[in-house]
Amino acid sequence: MLVTGRVFALGMLIILWFLIIYGMEMAKKRLPTFRSIPGLDALPEMMGRATEMRRPVHFTTGLGSLTGTVAPQLVAGLAVLGYASELAAKYGVKIIYSVYSAQVMPIATELMRDSYTRAGRLDEFNAEDQVRYLSGEQFAYASAVQGIAERERPAANIMIGPFYAESMLFSETFFRIGAIQLAGTARGYQIPFFAVICEYLLIAEEIYAAGAYLSKDPVQVGSIRGQDMGKIIALVLIIVGVVIYAFGSSAILDLLKM
Amino acid sequence: MSTMVRRQIPVLIVFVTSLLIMADYFLKLPPINPVTKLSWTSLVVTDIQNWGIILDAFALGFGAVNLFYLHTRHISKRAKGQWPFSIWLLLMVLVFAGIGIAYGPTSDQYSWLYNSSYFALSATVYSSLGFYMTSGIYRALRARNLESTLLLIVGGIVIMRNAPAIAVAAPIVIDMEAWLSAIPTTSAQRGIMIGAALGAIALGIRTMIGRETGFLGRLTEAETEG
Repeated sequence: MLVTGRVFALGMLIILWFLIIYGMEMAKKRLPTFRSIPGLDALPEMMGRATEMRRPVHFTTGLGSLTGTVAPQLVAGLAVLGYASELAAKYGVKIIYSVYSAQVMPIATELMRDSYTRAGRLDEFNAEDQVRYLSGEQFAYASAVQGIAERERPAANIMIGPFYAESMLFSETFFRIGAIQLAGTARGYQIPFFAVICEYLLIAEEIYAAGAYLSKDPVQVGSIRGQDMGKIIALVLIIVGVVIYAFGSSAILDLLKM
Repeated sequence: MSTMVRRQIPVLIVFVTSLLIMADYFLKLPPINPVTKLSWTSLVVTDIQNWGIILDAFALGFGAVNLFYLHTRHISKRAKGQWPFSIWLLLMVLVFAGIGIAYGPTSDQYSWLYNSSYFALSATVYSSLGFYMTSGIYRALRARNLESTLLLIVGGIVIMRNAPAIAVAAPIVIDMEAWLSAIPTTSAQRGIMIGAALGAIALGIRTMIGRETGFLGRLTEAETEG
């Protein structure tokens, strides 16, 4: 009935599901404390800078698509886009969203329209100009983003999502034009590039928590507690696995292979 | 637009689709088609994936309209430093579309066009990455505090390991780099990977139950509990 080799994964998924739901229910009674994430706290500062400099803010979600394995990173990036757009609308700053995957365009357009409506500035939203489809080819998209940076000189650049080789091209170009930068990705190979250049960085799981963090919705924040409980389980499995393997038992390895 | 159309129906679609895809991944169900030997979940998931491809193609049309709107406006306004490139871009879009429609995207003509123009340009942009890396690392490798000093030392070892003359003269850097890659780097990467995987699962669950705001817009105050 169950596919061999995936039984343990299914079990862990079910346990995590319950832990997250439990975390959400607990949060309704008492809001958990949440450590601050400087990169997300800096968003108003970035908008303020753009307002003072009378320059736009640039946003991109990298090479994300909604149907691939990196879809969660894209969804995490869109959550921040919604918040950043609302903030930009309130500050009267133009926000430009560079799109790689055309399938994201209608969603991003609706998301930004919704944000401008919330801010009471719907008349200032120009979908055709602010949501820009650049290309579905990696380096054509990368060149186009660099072109936007050079021509329109954004005061701030926000990059959250799956990034590949273009991470360095973007962060260096925006650094050169003097933009303040916030970057976040769960792709391990690109994190060091962002870390050495960008002012603010969201590392891996922080991007997934961004939507919950910005929404301040207790139920969403509660799900992060469930996620942390999952992390404790993983940690316990690692420690127990290492210790009993040192004593010659492969019980945890066998469990993982179930 | 009512909440039903904007939020509840999309959440229901996401929930049912996610359950079907998970069932197909975890469950071994008997095949219903003796020829393809696919179970009913596999057939449904294949259909869903095909719908995704069709929707993607429609979205591409949407992207093309946006591209034409933006660049024709640049041309009509003679946007400084932009409009000649906009003409070139639209011309190339039309040439690629024309050749693709006339001969097909797998034809020799289309392949020649692609390899002679985009492929060469793409390789050029990719190659330029080396210069960006150099300038980035030049700023990063400075002993300003403990962390950056550590980065400087580790970066120095890796650079020396990859410089053939130094690696031959001082083979110890080979062992040092191997240890750095296998132990501290791998441990840190795995830690990040585990955290990211758990984060993605939590986001998936929030999305399935309609609490994640990433693709449906932010929650209203009425929808936010607490």
